[in-house]
Amino acid sequence: MSHRFGRKLGWNVLGLVIFGVMVFPVYWMISTSFKTNDQINSSLTPQWFPVHPSLRNFENVIHKQYFWTDVKNTVIVVLVAITIAVLFAFLAAVALEKYRFTGRKAFLVLLIGIQMLPGIGLIIPLYVVLAHVPVLHLNLVNHLSGLIVVYVSAVLPFSVWTLRGFLMGIPKELEEAAMVDGSSRLGAFFRILLPLVAPGLVAVSVFAFIVSWNEYVFARLLLNDGSTQTITVWLGNYIGGEKAVDWGGLMAASTLIALPVVGFFLLVQRKIAFGLTAGAVRG
Amino acid sequence: MPPVVAVQVWIWMTNVQNGVLNYTLTTLHVGNYDGHNWFGSPFSSLGMAVTLIVWGALPFVVITMYAALSQVPHELVEAAQIDGAPAWRVFKDVTMPVIAPILYLLTCLSILWDFGVFTQVYLLIGQPAIVPANYVMGVYLWEQAEVLDLYGRGAAISILMLAIVAALSIFYVRRMVRTAEVA
Repeated sequence: MSHRFGRKLGWNVLGLVIFGVMVFPVYWMISTSFKTNDQINSSLTPQWFPVHPSLRNFENVIHKQYFWTDVKNTVIVVLVAITIAVLFAFLAAVALEKYRFTGRKAFLVLLIGIQMLPGIGLIIPLYVVLAHVPVLHLNLVNHLSGLIVVYVSAVLPFSVWTLRGFLMGIPKELEEAAMVDGSSRLGAFFRILLPLVAPGLVAVSVFAFIVSWNEYVFARLLLNDGSTQTITVWLGNYIGGEKAVDWGGLMAASTLIALPVVGFFLLVQRKIAFGLTAGAVRG
Repeated sequence: MPPVVAVQVWIWMTNVQNGVLNYTLTTLHVGNYDGHNWFGSPFSSLGMAVTLIVWGALPFVVITMYAALSQVPHELVEAAQIDGAPAWRVFKDVTMPVIAPILYLLTCLSILWDFGVFTQVYLLIGQPAIVPANYVMGVYLWEQAEVLDLYGRGAAISILMLAIVAALSIFYVRRMVRTAEVA
Protein backbone atom coordinates (compact mmCIF):
# COMPACT_ATOMS: atom_id res chain seq x y z
CA MET A 1 0.00 0.00 0.00
CA SER A 2 2.66 2.49 1.01
CA HIS A 3 4.66 1.56 -2.09
CA ARG A 4 1.70 2.48 -4.23
CA PHE A 5 1.17 5.68 -2.31
CA GLY A 6 4.80 6.63 -2.81
CA ARG A 7 4.55 6.08 -6.53
CA LYS A 8 1.44 8.17 -6.79
CA LEU A 9 3.11 10.94 -4.80
CA GLY A 10 6.10 10.77 -7.13
CA TRP A 11 3.93 11.19 -10.21
CA ASN A 12 2.09 14.09 -8.63
CA VAL A 13 5.32 15.84 -7.70
CA LEU A 14 6.62 15.33 -11.24
CA GLY A 15 3.40 16.78 -12.60
CA LEU A 16 3.69 19.80 -10.34
CA VAL A 17 7.29 20.39 -11.35
CA ILE A 18 6.40 20.28 -15.05
CA PHE A 19 3.47 22.57 -14.42
CA GLY A 20 5.78 24.96 -12.59
CA VAL A 21 8.29 25.02 -15.42
CA MET A 22 5.53 25.65 -17.94
CA VAL A 23 3.95 28.47 -15.97
CA PHE A 24 7.11 30.10 -14.69
CA PRO A 25 7.89 32.24 -17.79
CA VAL A 26 4.43 33.80 -17.58
CA TYR A 27 4.82 34.40 -13.85
CA TRP A 28 8.26 35.88 -14.35
CA MET A 29 7.00 38.23 -17.02
CA ILE A 30 4.18 39.53 -14.83
CA SER A 31 6.21 39.77 -11.64
CA THR A 32 9.10 41.56 -13.36
CA SER A 33 6.70 44.09 -14.80
CA PHE A 34 5.76 45.17 -11.26
CA LYS A 35 9.32 45.60 -9.99
CA THR A 36 11.35 48.77 -9.96
CA ASN A 37 14.57 48.95 -11.91
CA ASP A 38 16.65 48.81 -8.73
CA GLN A 39 15.00 45.58 -7.71
CA ILE A 40 15.61 44.09 -11.14
CA ASN A 41 19.20 45.16 -11.72
CA SER A 42 21.11 45.81 -8.51
CA SER A 43 20.74 42.58 -6.57
CA LEU A 44 22.59 39.45 -7.65
CA THR A 45 19.87 37.15 -6.38
CA PRO A 46 16.62 37.61 -8.27
CA GLN A 47 13.67 38.78 -6.26
CA TRP A 48 11.14 35.96 -6.58
CA PHE A 49 8.23 38.12 -5.56
CA PRO A 50 7.79 41.85 -6.15
CA VAL A 51 7.97 43.22 -2.60
CA HIS A 52 6.77 46.73 -3.28
CA PRO A 53 4.81 46.34 -6.50
CA SER A 54 4.71 49.51 -8.52
CA LEU A 55 2.94 50.51 -11.71
CA ARG A 56 5.81 52.69 -12.87
CA ASN A 57 6.76 50.35 -15.72
CA PHE A 58 3.27 50.33 -17.14
CA GLU A 59 3.15 54.08 -16.88
CA ASN A 60 6.43 54.40 -18.78
CA VAL A 61 5.34 51.97 -21.44
CA ILE A 62 2.07 53.61 -22.37
CA HIS A 63 3.84 56.93 -22.69
CA LYS A 64 6.54 55.53 -24.92
CA GLN A 65 6.67 56.76 -28.48
CA TYR A 66 4.25 55.11 -30.91
CA PHE A 67 2.70 52.80 -28.31
CA TRP A 68 -0.85 54.06 -28.73
CA THR A 69 -0.47 54.64 -32.47
CA ASP A 70 0.63 51.07 -32.93
CA VAL A 71 -2.08 49.67 -30.69
CA LYS A 72 -4.57 51.60 -32.77
CA ASN A 73 -3.05 50.26 -36.01
CA THR A 74 -3.24 46.71 -34.72
CA VAL A 75 -6.84 47.07 -33.63
CA ILE A 76 -7.85 48.50 -37.01
CA VAL A 77 -6.06 45.76 -38.94
CA VAL A 78 -7.40 42.99 -36.73
CA LEU A 79 -11.02 44.17 -36.74
CA VAL A 80 -11.22 44.79 -40.48
CA ALA A 81 -9.47 41.50 -41.24
CA ILE A 82 -11.82 39.55 -38.98
CA THR A 83 -14.92 41.12 -40.50
CA ILE A 84 -13.90 40.44 -44.08
CA ALA A 85 -12.53 36.97 -43.35
CA VAL A 86 -15.59 35.76 -41.45
CA LEU A 87 -17.96 37.08 -44.10
CA PHE A 88 -16.07 35.46 -46.97
CA ALA A 89 -15.46 32.24 -45.08
CA PHE A 90 -19.12 31.87 -44.17
CA LEU A 91 -20.34 32.40 -47.71
CA ALA A 92 -17.70 30.05 -49.09
CA ALA A 93 -18.58 27.40 -46.53
CA VAL A 94 -22.29 27.65 -47.33
CA ALA A 95 -21.54 27.29 -51.03
CA LEU A 96 -19.31 24.27 -50.39
CA GLU A 97 -21.88 22.59 -48.21
CA LYS A 98 -25.13 23.32 -50.07
CA TYR A 99 -24.21 23.24 -53.72
CA ARG A 100 -22.44 20.62 -55.78
CA PHE A 101 -20.39 22.48 -58.37
CA THR A 102 -17.56 21.38 -60.62
CA GLY A 103 -14.18 21.71 -59.01
CA ARG A 104 -15.68 21.46 -55.53
CA LYS A 105 -13.46 18.58 -54.55
CA ALA A 106 -10.37 20.22 -56.01
CA PHE A 107 -11.25 23.35 -54.04
CA LEU A 108 -11.47 21.35 -50.81
CA VAL A 109 -8.11 19.72 -51.41
CA LEU A 110 -6.59 23.08 -52.19
CA LEU A 111 -8.07 24.49 -49.01
CA ILE A 112 -6.16 22.04 -46.83
CA GLY A 113 -3.10 21.97 -49.01
CA ILE A 114 -2.69 25.71 -48.91
CA GLN A 115 -2.57 25.74 -45.12
CA MET A 116 0.55 23.64 -45.20
CA LEU A 117 2.69 26.28 -46.89
CA PRO A 118 5.02 27.94 -44.44
CA GLY A 119 4.18 31.63 -44.28
CA ILE A 120 7.80 32.65 -44.49
CA GLY A 121 8.01 31.10 -47.96
CA LEU A 122 5.44 33.59 -49.20
CA ILE A 123 7.18 36.80 -48.19
CA ILE A 124 8.70 37.42 -51.60
CA PRO A 125 5.68 36.84 -53.83
CA LEU A 126 3.46 38.80 -51.44
CA TYR A 127 5.86 41.70 -51.26
CA VAL A 128 6.21 41.82 -55.04
CA VAL A 129 2.46 41.67 -55.58
CA LEU A 130 1.61 44.23 -52.92
CA ALA A 131 4.25 46.67 -54.11
CA HIS A 132 2.63 46.82 -57.56
CA VAL A 133 -0.90 45.53 -57.31
CA PRO A 134 -1.80 44.39 -60.81
CA VAL A 135 -4.71 46.10 -62.60
CA LEU A 136 -5.30 48.61 -59.80
CA HIS A 137 -1.74 49.98 -59.93
CA LEU A 138 -1.49 50.50 -56.21
CA ASN A 139 1.40 50.30 -53.84
CA LEU A 140 0.17 48.76 -50.61
CA VAL A 141 3.54 48.43 -48.93
CA ASN A 142 3.56 50.56 -45.80
CA HIS A 143 -0.25 50.73 -45.82
CA LEU A 144 -2.39 48.97 -43.28
CA SER A 145 -4.65 47.78 -46.11
CA GLY A 146 -1.85 45.64 -47.51
CA LEU A 147 -1.49 43.88 -44.19
CA ILE A 148 -5.25 43.39 -43.97
CA VAL A 149 -5.23 41.61 -47.34
CA VAL A 150 -2.45 39.33 -46.10
CA TYR A 151 -4.22 38.47 -42.86
CA VAL A 152 -7.54 37.80 -44.55
CA SER A 153 -5.91 35.39 -46.95
CA ALA A 154 -3.94 33.78 -44.14
CA VAL A 155 -6.97 32.90 -42.00
CA LEU A 156 -9.46 32.13 -44.79
CA PRO A 157 -8.57 28.46 -45.48
CA PHE A 158 -8.85 27.39 -41.86
CA SER A 159 -12.00 29.49 -41.36
CA VAL A 160 -13.78 28.01 -44.37
CA TRP A 161 -12.82 24.52 -43.25
CA THR A 162 -14.04 25.04 -39.70
CA LEU A 163 -17.29 26.69 -40.71
CA ARG A 164 -17.97 23.91 -43.15
CA GLY A 165 -17.63 21.49 -40.25
CA PHE A 166 -20.20 23.48 -38.28
CA LEU A 167 -22.57 23.62 -41.25
CA MET A 168 -22.34 19.87 -41.75
CA GLY A 169 -23.74 19.40 -38.26
CA ILE A 170 -26.97 21.22 -39.15
CA PRO A 171 -29.62 18.86 -40.54
CA LYS A 172 -30.84 19.76 -44.01
CA GLU A 173 -34.41 19.05 -42.91
CA LEU A 174 -34.51 22.17 -40.76
CA GLU A 175 -33.96 24.41 -43.73
CA GLU A 176 -36.31 22.42 -45.91
CA ALA A 177 -39.02 22.58 -43.30
CA ALA A 178 -38.74 26.35 -43.20
CA MET A 179 -38.98 26.50 -46.97
CA VAL A 180 -42.01 24.19 -47.02
CA ASP A 181 -43.65 26.51 -44.52
CA GLY A 182 -43.30 29.31 -47.02
CA SER A 183 -39.97 30.87 -46.21
CA SER A 184 -37.75 31.90 -49.08
CA ARG A 185 -34.27 30.46 -49.52
CA LEU A 186 -32.84 33.70 -48.16
CA GLY A 187 -35.28 33.72 -45.26
CA ALA A 188 -34.28 30.18 -44.34
CA PHE A 189 -30.67 31.24 -44.57
CA PHE A 190 -31.09 34.11 -42.14
CA ARG A 191 -33.57 32.54 -39.73
CA ILE A 192 -32.30 28.97 -39.58
CA LEU A 193 -28.73 28.73 -40.75
CA LEU A 194 -27.28 31.91 -39.31
CA PRO A 195 -28.42 31.43 -35.69
CA LEU A 196 -27.39 27.77 -35.70
CA VAL A 197 -23.93 28.45 -37.00
CA ALA A 198 -23.32 31.41 -34.68
CA PRO A 199 -20.98 29.49 -32.33
CA GLY A 200 -18.90 28.60 -35.36
CA LEU A 201 -18.71 32.23 -36.39
CA VAL A 202 -17.54 33.17 -32.91
CA ALA A 203 -14.87 30.46 -32.93
CA VAL A 204 -13.60 31.54 -36.33
CA SER A 205 -13.54 35.21 -35.32
CA VAL A 206 -11.50 34.44 -32.25
CA PHE A 207 -9.12 32.33 -34.30
CA ALA A 208 -8.69 35.18 -36.79
CA PHE A 209 -8.18 37.58 -33.92
CA ILE A 210 -5.41 35.51 -32.35
CA VAL A 211 -3.60 34.90 -35.62
CA SER A 212 -3.61 38.50 -36.75
CA TRP A 213 -2.85 39.96 -33.33
CA ASN A 214 0.16 37.66 -32.93
CA GLU A 215 1.52 37.95 -36.46
CA TYR A 216 5.01 39.36 -36.77
CA VAL A 217 6.76 38.44 -40.03
CA PHE A 218 4.43 40.10 -42.51
CA ALA A 219 3.88 43.13 -40.34
CA ARG A 220 7.63 43.54 -40.11
CA LEU A 221 8.03 43.02 -43.85
CA LEU A 222 5.28 45.32 -45.05
CA LEU A 223 5.22 48.12 -42.50
CA ASN A 224 8.54 49.71 -41.71
CA ASP A 225 7.58 53.07 -40.35
CA GLY A 226 7.16 53.70 -36.63
CA SER A 227 3.74 55.27 -37.04
CA THR A 228 2.26 52.58 -39.30
CA GLN A 229 3.60 49.44 -37.69
CA THR A 230 1.68 47.01 -35.52
CA ILE A 231 2.21 46.34 -31.85
CA THR A 232 4.19 43.11 -32.28
CA VAL A 233 6.74 44.91 -34.47
CA TRP A 234 6.87 47.68 -31.90
CA LEU A 235 7.68 45.13 -29.20
CA GLY A 236 10.20 43.37 -31.42
CA ASN A 237 12.11 46.63 -31.76
CA TYR A 238 11.88 47.47 -28.07
CA ILE A 239 15.40 46.46 -27.08
CA GLY A 240 16.84 48.07 -30.20
CA GLY A 241 20.53 47.61 -29.46
CA GLU A 242 20.60 49.66 -26.24
CA LYS A 243 23.20 48.67 -23.71
CA ALA A 244 21.14 48.92 -20.56
CA VAL A 245 17.81 47.29 -21.33
CA ASP A 246 14.76 48.50 -19.46
CA TRP A 247 13.64 45.01 -18.45
CA GLY A 248 10.75 46.18 -16.31
CA GLY A 249 9.34 48.21 -19.16
CA LEU A 250 9.88 45.40 -21.64
CA MET A 251 8.02 42.94 -19.43
CA ALA A 252 5.22 45.43 -18.73
CA ALA A 253 4.78 45.95 -22.48
CA SER A 254 4.83 42.19 -23.02
CA THR A 255 2.18 41.68 -20.37
CA LEU A 256 -0.08 44.31 -21.91
CA ILE A 257 0.26 42.83 -25.40
CA ALA A 258 -0.27 39.25 -24.27
CA LEU A 259 -3.34 40.06 -22.19
CA PRO A 260 -6.07 40.14 -24.90
CA VAL A 261 -4.74 37.03 -26.62
CA VAL A 262 -4.50 34.92 -23.51
CA GLY A 263 -8.06 35.87 -22.62
CA PHE A 264 -9.47 34.89 -25.99
CA PHE A 265 -7.33 31.79 -26.21
CA LEU A 266 -8.71 30.45 -22.94
CA LEU A 267 -12.19 31.02 -24.34
CA VAL A 268 -11.87 28.85 -27.43
CA GLN A 269 -8.88 26.58 -27.06
CA ARG A 270 -10.88 23.55 -26.03
CA LYS A 271 -13.41 24.01 -28.80
CA ILE A 272 -10.79 24.12 -31.52
CA ALA A 273 -8.85 21.16 -30.18
CA PHE A 274 -11.99 19.05 -29.81
CA GLY A 275 -13.17 19.99 -33.27
CA LEU A 276 -9.89 18.83 -34.71
CA THR A 277 -9.97 15.45 -33.03
CA ALA A 278 -13.65 14.92 -33.75
CA GLY A 279 -12.81 15.12 -37.44
CA ALA A 280 -9.76 12.96 -37.10
CA VAL A 281 -11.34 10.10 -35.22
CA ARG A 282 -14.06 9.60 -37.77
CA GLY A 283 -11.46 8.75 -40.41
CA MET B 1 0.80 33.99 -25.92
CA PRO B 2 2.11 35.92 -28.92
CA PRO B 3 5.46 34.55 -30.12
CA VAL B 4 7.04 37.99 -29.96
CA VAL B 5 6.08 38.33 -26.29
CA ALA B 6 7.40 34.88 -25.48
CA VAL B 7 10.66 35.81 -27.16
CA GLN B 8 11.08 38.89 -24.95
CA VAL B 9 10.47 36.81 -21.83
CA TRP B 10 13.06 34.29 -22.98
CA ILE B 11 15.58 37.03 -23.68
CA TRP B 12 15.06 38.37 -20.19
CA MET B 13 15.24 34.99 -18.46
CA THR B 14 18.43 33.99 -20.26
CA ASN B 15 20.12 37.37 -19.85
CA VAL B 16 23.83 37.08 -19.17
CA GLN B 17 24.06 39.33 -16.10
CA ASN B 18 20.89 38.81 -14.10
CA GLY B 19 18.81 36.31 -16.03
CA VAL B 20 16.91 34.01 -13.73
CA LEU B 21 18.01 30.89 -15.61
CA ASN B 22 21.71 31.34 -14.89
CA TYR B 23 20.98 32.06 -11.25
CA THR B 24 18.77 29.01 -10.82
CA LEU B 25 21.18 26.62 -12.49
CA THR B 26 24.06 27.90 -10.36
CA THR B 27 22.08 27.75 -7.14
CA LEU B 28 20.89 24.22 -7.84
CA HIS B 29 24.54 23.22 -8.35
CA VAL B 30 23.98 22.08 -11.91
CA GLY B 31 27.20 23.87 -12.66
CA ASN B 32 28.64 27.34 -12.60
CA TYR B 33 26.48 29.30 -14.98
CA ASP B 34 27.32 32.68 -13.50
CA GLY B 35 27.64 35.00 -16.47
CA HIS B 36 27.07 32.16 -18.93
CA ASN B 37 26.12 33.45 -22.38
CA TRP B 38 23.49 31.18 -23.91
CA PHE B 39 23.89 32.78 -27.28
CA GLY B 40 27.63 32.35 -27.46
CA SER B 41 27.60 29.31 -29.71
CA PRO B 42 25.27 28.35 -32.56
CA PHE B 43 24.40 25.09 -30.83
CA SER B 44 23.26 26.60 -27.56
CA SER B 45 21.48 29.54 -29.18
CA LEU B 46 19.49 27.19 -31.39
CA GLY B 47 18.91 25.03 -28.32
CA MET B 48 17.38 28.00 -26.56
CA ALA B 49 15.17 28.66 -29.59
CA VAL B 50 14.05 25.02 -29.40
CA THR B 51 13.02 25.34 -25.75
CA LEU B 52 11.02 28.43 -26.63
CA ILE B 53 9.26 26.79 -29.57
CA VAL B 54 8.49 23.62 -27.62
CA TRP B 55 7.16 25.68 -24.73
CA GLY B 56 4.87 27.54 -27.11
CA ALA B 57 3.67 24.43 -28.93
CA LEU B 58 3.05 22.18 -25.91
CA PRO B 59 -0.36 23.48 -24.78
CA PHE B 60 -2.00 22.72 -28.12
CA VAL B 61 -0.41 19.29 -28.35
CA VAL B 62 -1.31 18.41 -24.77
CA ILE B 63 -4.94 19.46 -25.12
CA THR B 64 -5.33 17.58 -28.38
CA MET B 65 -3.73 14.49 -26.86
CA TYR B 66 -6.00 14.79 -23.86
CA ALA B 67 -9.01 14.94 -26.14
CA ALA B 68 -7.71 11.88 -27.97
CA LEU B 69 -7.15 9.93 -24.75
CA SER B 70 -10.61 10.79 -23.50
CA GLN B 71 -12.00 8.94 -26.49
CA VAL B 72 -10.42 5.64 -25.51
CA PRO B 73 -13.36 3.48 -24.38
CA HIS B 74 -13.15 2.62 -20.67
CA GLU B 75 -14.83 -0.76 -21.19
CA LEU B 76 -12.03 -1.92 -23.45
CA VAL B 77 -9.33 -0.87 -20.99
CA GLU B 78 -11.17 -2.58 -18.16
CA ALA B 79 -11.78 -5.71 -20.17
CA ALA B 80 -8.10 -5.93 -21.03
CA GLN B 81 -7.15 -5.43 -17.39
CA ILE B 82 -9.56 -8.14 -16.23
CA ASP B 83 -8.03 -10.48 -18.79
CA GLY B 84 -4.74 -9.87 -17.02
CA ALA B 85 -2.97 -7.70 -19.55
CA PRO B 86 0.02 -5.83 -18.14
CA ALA B 87 -0.08 -2.05 -18.29
CA TRP B 88 2.14 -1.70 -21.32
CA ARG B 89 0.05 -4.24 -23.30
CA VAL B 90 -3.11 -2.31 -22.46
CA PHE B 91 -1.40 0.80 -23.75
CA LYS B 92 -0.05 -0.83 -26.89
CA ASP B 93 -3.11 -2.81 -27.96
CA VAL B 94 -6.02 -0.77 -26.62
CA THR B 95 -4.97 2.85 -26.23
CA MET B 96 -2.56 3.19 -29.11
CA PRO B 97 -4.89 2.08 -31.93
CA VAL B 98 -7.46 4.66 -30.82
CA ILE B 99 -5.08 7.59 -30.49
CA ALA B 100 -2.79 6.63 -33.40
CA PRO B 101 -4.58 8.69 -36.08
CA ILE B 102 -4.46 11.79 -33.89
CA LEU B 103 -0.85 11.17 -32.96
CA TYR B 104 -0.11 10.93 -36.64
CA LEU B 105 -1.94 14.16 -37.46
CA LEU B 106 -0.23 15.99 -34.61
CA THR B 107 3.17 14.88 -35.79
CA CYS B 108 2.47 15.97 -39.36
CA LEU B 109 1.07 19.31 -38.27
CA SER B 110 3.92 20.03 -35.89
CA ILE B 111 6.52 19.28 -38.53
CA LEU B 112 4.75 21.43 -41.06
CA TRP B 113 4.19 24.35 -38.69
CA ASP B 114 7.65 24.38 -37.24
CA PHE B 115 9.41 23.89 -40.54
CA GLY B 116 8.77 27.48 -41.48
CA VAL B 117 9.73 28.84 -38.08
CA PHE B 118 11.18 32.31 -38.25
CA THR B 119 10.02 34.78 -35.62
CA GLN B 120 11.29 32.91 -32.57
CA VAL B 121 14.72 32.12 -33.96
CA TYR B 122 15.25 35.50 -35.57
CA LEU B 123 14.23 37.63 -32.62
CA LEU B 124 15.57 35.45 -29.84
CA ILE B 125 19.09 35.13 -31.18
CA GLY B 126 18.96 38.78 -32.10
CA GLN B 127 20.65 40.91 -34.70
CA PRO B 128 24.39 40.79 -34.05
CA ALA B 129 24.37 37.10 -33.14
CA ILE B 130 22.47 35.92 -36.23
CA VAL B 131 25.21 34.25 -38.28
CA PRO B 132 25.09 31.61 -41.02
CA ALA B 133 26.00 28.92 -38.49
CA ASN B 134 22.66 29.33 -36.72
CA TYR B 135 20.40 30.02 -39.70
CA VAL B 136 17.24 28.03 -40.11
CA MET B 137 15.57 27.95 -43.53
CA GLY B 138 13.28 30.83 -42.66
CA VAL B 139 16.07 33.06 -41.40
CA TYR B 140 18.25 32.22 -44.40
CA LEU B 141 15.43 33.25 -46.69
CA TRP B 142 14.86 36.48 -44.80
CA GLU B 143 18.52 37.43 -44.77
CA GLN B 144 18.95 36.83 -48.49
CA ALA B 145 15.74 38.45 -49.62
CA GLU B 146 15.13 41.26 -47.14
CA VAL B 147 18.56 42.24 -45.96
CA LEU B 148 20.64 41.59 -49.07
CA ASP B 149 17.84 42.29 -51.55
CA LEU B 150 18.58 39.07 -53.43
CA TYR B 151 14.97 38.42 -54.34
CA GLY B 152 15.80 35.79 -56.94
CA ARG B 153 17.81 33.73 -54.53
CA GLY B 154 15.14 34.21 -51.87
CA ALA B 155 12.50 32.90 -54.24
CA ALA B 156 14.70 29.88 -54.97
CA ILE B 157 14.93 29.16 -51.22
CA SER B 158 11.14 29.43 -50.96
CA ILE B 159 10.69 26.91 -53.74
CA LEU B 160 13.07 24.51 -52.04
CA MET B 161 11.19 24.90 -48.75
CA LEU B 162 7.88 24.33 -50.47
CA ALA B 163 9.18 21.19 -52.15
CA ILE B 164 10.27 19.72 -48.82
CA VAL B 165 7.02 20.69 -47.13
CA ALA B 166 4.93 19.41 -50.03
CA ALA B 167 6.52 15.98 -49.78
CA LEU B 168 5.60 15.88 -46.10
CA SER B 169 2.14 17.32 -46.40
CA ILE B 170 0.88 15.02 -49.14
CA PHE B 171 0.19 12.37 -46.48
CA TYR B 172 -1.58 14.84 -44.28
CA VAL B 173 -3.75 16.27 -47.05
CA ARG B 174 -4.70 12.82 -48.33
CA ARG B 175 -5.74 11.80 -44.86
CA MET B 176 -7.78 14.96 -44.26
CA VAL B 177 -9.55 14.61 -47.61
CA ARG B 178 -10.42 11.02 -46.89
CA THR B 179 -11.81 12.03 -43.50
CA ALA B 180 -13.85 14.79 -45.06
CA GLU B 181 -15.37 12.45 -47.62
CA VAL B 182 -16.48 9.92 -45.07
CA ALA B 183 -18.15 12.60 -42.99
